[in-house]
Amino acid sequence: MTRFNIFTRGLVKENAVFVLMIGLCPALATSSTVRDGFGMGLAATFVLVFSNLIISILRKNIPNEVRIPIFILVISTFVTIIDYMMQAFQPDLYRALGVFVPLIVVNCMILGRAEAYASKSSVVDSILDGLGTGLGFTLALTVMGTIREILGNGTFLGMTVFGESFKNSPVIFMIMSPGAFLVIGILKALINKYVKKELR
Amino acid sequence: MTGTRQMVVTLFVVAVTCAVILSFVYAFTEPRIAETQAQLTLSGLEEVISAHKYVEVIPDTLWQAMDSLDQKIGIVFRMFPQGYGGPIPITVGLNNEGTITGIRIASAAEGMSETPGLGAKITEPSFTAQFKDKCAAEVALEQDGGTIQAITAATISSRAVSEGVKKGIEKYAEYLESGFDMSIIFPEANNFIEITADSIWYALVNSDTVGIVFIGVSQGYLDCIKFMVGYSQERRITGVAILYSQETEGIGEVIRDQEFLEKFKDGIPEAVSGATISTKALIDGVTSGIQRYGEYIK
Repeated sequence: MTRFNIFTRGLVKENAVFVLMIGLCPALATSSTVRDGFGMGLAATFVLVFSNLIISILRKNIPNEVRIPIFILVISTFVTIIDYMMQAFQPDLYRALGVFVPLIVVNCMILGRAEAYASKSSVVDSILDGLGTGLGFTLALTVMGTIREILGNGTFLGMTVFGESFKNSPVIFMIMSPGAFLVIGILKALINKYVKKELR
Repeated sequence: MTGTRQMVVTLFVVAVTCAVILSFVYAFTEPRIAETQAQLTLSGLEEVISAHKYVEVIPDTLWQAMDSLDQKIGIVFRMFPQGYGGPIPITVGLNNEGTITGIRIASAAEGMSETPGLGAKITEPSFTAQFKDKCAAEVALEQDGGTIQAITAATISSRAVSEGVKKGIEKYAEYLESGFDMSIIFPEANNFIEITADSIWYALVNSDTVGIVFIGVSQGYLDCIKFMVGYSQERRITGVAILYSQETEGIGEVIRDQEFLEKFKDGIPEAVSGATISTKALIDGVTSGIQRYGEYIK
């Protein structure tokens, strides 16, 4: 598999949210606006890339029996770093994402990449894998955030799209929990019908 | 055995390294986090009452607003009344007269969880502006006999806000009392110096002590009565004012009567028949206050 393929695999073909259907809890909860979805995606990407990097470097020295605790330690360290950084430099985003930032620790997408890929692959490949998976996650959340924010709130990145009359959106539920399930369901259906076949 | 040792050592080394890295990150970001947090709180306070500075009285709950001469101009407090979707964080500014200078309701991003598009409209200026320049008695929804117009289809959220604001004013109004104009009860003095926080002051003319002002509390007919007394060097009452009283309307209310309060200037008056308990409570309170604080007079 070429390096390019390693990168694009997580982005499209094995997109965590739309194809593998993992990491769904933060994907549903933080994709109510573009900014929140994008911010959450980048935070997860940061953790993925660096935890993949460190675990790949350490892979030959990690005893098999304690690999999971070590993975969790490394992952939670980077989650805490991004948690502090966000509090310090992006306090608005931090409050919007709330508990989902610390919960990146238990996102199975990240532990999954560490266990299934980084612990068995070279450093460069692991970074590319983390980057692809993370950006695929970001892409999914941003797409969902765009649809939900435009329909539910009439705005894109906070800018009014449909004018004042749309301010009280008739489909306001799109930015609430039911909207998240609807959007991901419809997107998944469309992807199943049109995209997946071509990639097989 | 080597296997076990390797396991323990690796896990130990990784854990220690992580802890060390995190302590550095914490040391680096902590001051910045504190600063953003303080900045955020400050801008929230400024929105409800503009002041030169804010002195925190109860952490994250109550502030004294000061002007550039360090005079107290009012208070800011936060309340979290239960709304439809959870507690609603409200910040309220009050001036010394107990009138609302402004209220602010946290946005959804800041932890307000009312229904978007319905209850969440309580954050909009069209709703919050209604509270400006109102006193506690006026703060209630129109259907509850007040002056606040509820948001259509969001009565629970609207009511939670107005009741929360009202409760907050009742709860924290006591912090306003230092803003009471003491020259009303001690007209001769032109300056007052606090001896004991919020209870006794020296009354001064320029820098000469001419008497004291104190706050006293006694049990009335319905609730406690809180009053302020001016007492001069010549052992004469210069004035009495009621700060708080819930005495019976029309009867016990006589203690708020200016004519009755004026009598204190000529010596302790008799209890008023029909309102014996209320007036006697005030009279006894003033008398025992004078006995207790008389020692402060040189």
